Amino acid sequence: MDLFAHLATGFGVALTPDNFLYCLLGATLGTLVGVLPGIGPLTTIAMLLPLTFKMTPVASLIMLSGIYYGAHHAGSTTAIMLNTPGDPSSLVICLDGHPMARQGRAGPALCIAAFGSFFAGSFGVLLMALFSPPLAGVALRFAAPEYACLVLVALIATVVLARGRFLLNVGMSVLGLLLGTVGTDIESGTMRFTFGSPNLADGINFIIIAVGVFAFAEVISNLGRDRIGRTPAAPLRSLWPRRSDLAAAWKPILRGTVLGSALGLLPGTGPMVSSFAAYSLERQLAKDRSRFGNGAIEGVAGPEAANNAAAITHFIPMLTLGIPAGAAMALMLGAMLVQGIAPGPRMISEHPDVFWGLLASMWLGNLMLLVLNLPLVGIWIRLLTIPYRILVPAILVFCCIGVYSVNNSSFDVVLAAGFGVLGYAFSMLRCQPMPLIVGFILGPVLEQSLRRALLLSRGDLATFVMRPISLTLLIFAAGLILYAALSWYRDGRRQALPGVR
Amino acid sequence: MLARRGLAGFAIAAAIGLRGVPDARADTYPSKPVRLLVAFPPGGPSDVLARIVGQQLNAELGQSVIVDNRPGAGGNVAAEIAVKQAPDGYALLLANNSILAANAFLYKRLSFDPLTDFAPVTLIGRQPNILVVSPSLGVGSVAQLIALAKARPGQLNFASSGNGTAAHLAGELFRLRAGIDIVHVAYPGVAPALTDLISDQVQMMFATSVAAIPFMKGGTLRGLAVTTAQRSSAMPDLPTMMEAGLPDFEATTWHGLVAPARTPAPIVTQLNTATIDALHQPDVARRLTGLGVDVVGSTPEEFATYIKSESIKWGDVIKRAGVHIG
Repeated sequence: MDLFAHLATGFGVALTPDNFLYCLLGATLGTLVGVLPGIGPLTTIAMLLPLTFKMTPVASLIMLSGIYYGAHHAGSTTAIMLNTPGDPSSLVICLDGHPMARQGRAGPALCIAAFGSFFAGSFGVLLMALFSPPLAGVALRFAAPEYACLVLVALIATVVLARGRFLLNVGMSVLGLLLGTVGTDIESGTMRFTFGSPNLADGINFIIIAVGVFAFAEVISNLGRDRIGRTPAAPLRSLWPRRSDLAAAWKPILRGTVLGSALGLLPGTGPMVSSFAAYSLERQLAKDRSRFGNGAIEGVAGPEAANNAAAITHFIPMLTLGIPAGAAMALMLGAMLVQGIAPGPRMISEHPDVFWGLLASMWLGNLMLLVLNLPLVGIWIRLLTIPYRILVPAILVFCCIGVYSVNNSSFDVVLAAGFGVLGYAFSMLRCQPMPLIVGFILGPVLEQSLRRALLLSRGDLATFVMRPISLTLLIFAAGLILYAALSWYRDGRRQALPGVR
Repeated sequence: MLARRGLAGFAIAAAIGLRGVPDARADTYPSKPVRLLVAFPPGGPSDVLARIVGQQLNAELGQSVIVDNRPGAGGNVAAEIAVKQAPDGYALLLANNSILAANAFLYKRLSFDPLTDFAPVTLIGRQPNILVVSPSLGVGSVAQLIALAKARPGQLNFASSGNGTAAHLAGELFRLRAGIDIVHVAYPGVAPALTDLISDQVQMMFATSVAAIPFMKGGTLRGLAVTTAQRSSAMPDLPTMMEAGLPDFEATTWHGLVAPARTPAPIVTQLNTATIDALHQPDVARRLTGLGVDVVGSTPEEFATYIKSESIKWGDVIKRAGVHIG
């Protein structure tokens, strides 16, 4: 069969000593930048790009993509251990991963994350090998109306499914949407909420808000708490997951993998949105929803698998259509163009060694990451025993470097500090930051898609119901609202009867 | 914040000043690393170009060239930083058509004057744009496209990578010169714009050749004409817009090296020679061609004249089309 011949070529390319070393180097570097909060794969790939000019095209792609998926793999580590996401797509892992660490179950959380990542990564590679060209077409079926409706579903789902009080979540979502409007409107060129500052002309970068609201706010609240707040309440039990953990985690890993693979194909969504979506899904399917936020292993397994599956399938539109589905993919595209390889419909047939070699290296890289990460679990656990007075300055320094490196702008660091204070205020007021983050990420997509859809239809709202995919999504959104209204009504009645809760 | 950055700039300038603007003669220059400001984020065409040229310039000058990305506000953030640096040849800006020819007309307030605040060093190269349409539109030439647009006024859309970008302004130039009624649709970048063009949501776009050619070869997009004065070596069969019947239609994305105004002429000359030597290295030329850049390497005077003529042309288009930012 063709596939085996192709895979043989691929592994032949990926297993040459040079390429294998580059794969290892990329994955290791990726692990490093993934673990360090604030410093992401984007900056690293950009900085290493000139070094790859002298390498062969395959080797450079193998190394750069290793950094990319390696970082996605490792980003959950600091999220679990320190409640500080190592890279943006691991943000959601904080919600249940960190509570697990506090209960002395950091080992199982890290192991499940590593297994989930490996499984999802392997599945993504398999998908890519079997169906790259047809899957690439999925990206083309999503135009402005579909994106608008997809985001609508996501926003409603977040508000409906988030923890805490309903109105508070709506308010946080709206605040996130508003923050997302800061900057130059791409349609009209109008500056919004920039206060005349060119520093705000391109809007607020996501990393600034994530570092501020999560990492900085976490540091402030820990300083406010007693010192014992940091040490795990329960002693470290086992490094390895128990059988019950595995039993609880395998379904979420499967679901997360499928969801992440699908969302990774769309240029508008990608790993970050996939991990949020997987978390919502797991929470929705759980029998006892109150466990979420208090160390539910499903809340680690699902999103982590989704994030890594999406990180791999994200390559498909870039390689087969030449459409980069995000900033990191745009960098990879640049790296390929400099090497004289134009990604696109004919890339697989014109450069089979590059395509299949990269593919094989991705699977090898994922395997290496598993082998690398499992023994490291024991070391990461010890992070918790580092005195806080040493850990805090280190976290702050890395976060500041990370925020600064986004735009090389000190203004951004000050802005992140401001968001840190805001994040602390939120945690004092018991406001969930998650709806804010989701609103911030999806708001601009919603606004631009909605306006573009209406511009293209010359103001005709029927464009949303005339297209099958957007109609389906709208019906789904309506279903979610109905569901929320019903459960609200039911809960209201139950509360009326004392003692039932 | 601005004030503080200004102050820091002043402090740096003062420190350099103490050590010696008088010392900044061509015979000792460069005696320390040169900072190359890039107005766009890592990974974009400007950045990759800067890193390719910077690496070779490093060898030519015998000093490291440090790429410093200062993205924001269509390139204005980096330009504002550049004009505040001491004119001693240690801070350079990789500028493009937006910064030097369009932003002065797009933005209401600009804290620098692109024509007087910079000393042009050399025009590094141009990236041709290609007018591409979706094949299902059924047009095979610019004339047919204009005829179709005239038959269906206000119904055809042209995509761009954002308000005020080169792709947008080229589209406006086309609209004005051809006298047609087409609607601008802005996207947050080239990739989503091309996606919608391929899937037939919009009908045409002026895309850089490097972005468009793979799709043209794959048959998912049809190229009608290039926007350069001469035909492109990468696509010799494609007519120019001028050949297609639109006189004086030239709309390229270009990149050039500038220094702060009042940089001593010997240093500008030295930088010009070093950059042109760097551009002539086969390795550099090959990589830039891969990026879709037609290498130029002009004299400082030629570059200054070019900036002026581009500024007049785009200023006129921007005013007549009513495009603005801010």
